[in-house]
Amino acid sequence: MSAEGSKAGGGHGHLPHPDTGPVPVPEVAVPPAAEAEAPDTVWLGLDSAGAGRERFLRPFAVDAGDPDAVRSHGTARGRGIDLLGHVVAARTPGRRERLRPERGAILEHARHARTLVELAAEVRLPVGQVREIVADMVGEGALQLCGPSRPLAHQDILHAVLVGLKSL
Amino acid sequence: MASADSETRPGAREAAQQEPIPQAVKIIVAGGFGAGKTTLVGSVSEIAPLSTEELMTEASCGVDDTGGVEDKTTTTVALDFGRITINPDIVLYLFGTPGQDRFWFMWDELSAGALGAVVLADTRRLDTCFHAVDFFERRGVPFVVAVNRFDGAEDYRVEEVREALDVSEGVPILMADARVRTSCKEVLVELITHVLRVRSPALSG
Ligand SMILES: Nc1nc2c(ncn2[C@@H]2O[C@H](COP(=O)(O)OP(=O)(O)OP(=O)(O)O)[C@@H](O)[C@H]2O)c(=O)[nH]1
Ligand SMILES: [Mg+2]
Repeated sequence: MSAEGSKAGGGHGHLPHPDTGPVPVPEVAVPPAAEAEAPDTVWLGLDSAGAGRERFLRPFAVDAGDPDAVRSHGTARGRGIDLLGHVVAARTPGRRERLRPERGAILEHARHARTLVELAAEVRLPVGQVREIVADMVGEGALQLCGPSRPLAHQDILHAVLVGLKSL
Repeated sequence: MASADSETRPGAREAAQQEPIPQAVKIIVAGGFGAGKTTLVGSVSEIAPLSTEELMTEASCGVDDTGGVEDKTTTTVALDFGRITINPDIVLYLFGTPGQDRFWFMWDELSAGALGAVVLADTRRLDTCFHAVDFFERRGVPFVVAVNRFDGAEDYRVEEVREALDVSEGVPILMADARVRTSCKEVLVELITHVLRVRSPALSG
């Protein structure tokens, strides 16, 4: 049973879960460099993620029990990390991830900044679960949240999107 | 704190902070079951559509001693999405989402902050997009209706669709084919043009 598993368990007494506190304010990252190698694969097979580490995700490791957690992520608006919020790894996977391969996979896939929803697709876990794990990992410093390098006004975004779409 | 064996990659933080982070924005593609949402997303996306799911716990599900995770009454809702890099600063995500009202919980989050929405109307079952139209109207999310003409289905004219869906003159309705990239592009351009029009302060003056 992983730590994720143990924090579940429905209404039974279970380990206190220290990491669910408020998520630190995102640190805004700044330009340039390139994310040119952003993979264009559909599934970045987890196999590529961890030679020598556990290579698979146990789907139920993270969602065993605790329907309340699921419900709160599913319904609460503005709660937790946005689907399109970017996260990036602050370190490589290590011993801590040995028994929590889903966390190792998240660290691997977040080497370059990723949106939460892309991360979920890549590690093949429900986005609500990934949101919860990511929040924990941000809390412990393994991941960082990043805001846009160059925040833009809504109107400017719309104009740019229109131009971009027209040139598709 | 990182444990001893994991590396805080040399300059990891610095590297992370040098990586340009685009502004991620989204458009929702809604419509009834099988209306062509995933097809539309795939037609314009620069990547093959990705998919994740959201778990929904049935309201009736109490926390009990079922012991096995398989016994949990959760339903998964697929969430398809694609991506269009607009420029180095902006990445547009397109989310295809099921139109059944039992999935409203997800629409809330999806529609928050969305630039706008495309309602795919399926000519075989026009009524399957009523919910989506209602939702976006009530939420004030600007939307266009794209009429996906399926082979063998009745041919509607725009005015007929407008009447059937009871959407106001201000809402653009256009014929589309979700399988054709240029058609999807036209729909999205129409949507953003519409959004700019309704959001323009000049209109109120
Ligand atoms: N004739 C025609 N067929 C289409 C069109 N768009 C999609 N299809 C077909 O309709 C079927 C369903 O399309 P999908 O894109 O999977 O529909 P969807 O809305 O994502 O379906 P669900 O996610 O299951 O609700 C596929 O076989 C498509 O090839 C269209 O514009 N015209
Ligand atoms: Mg679909």
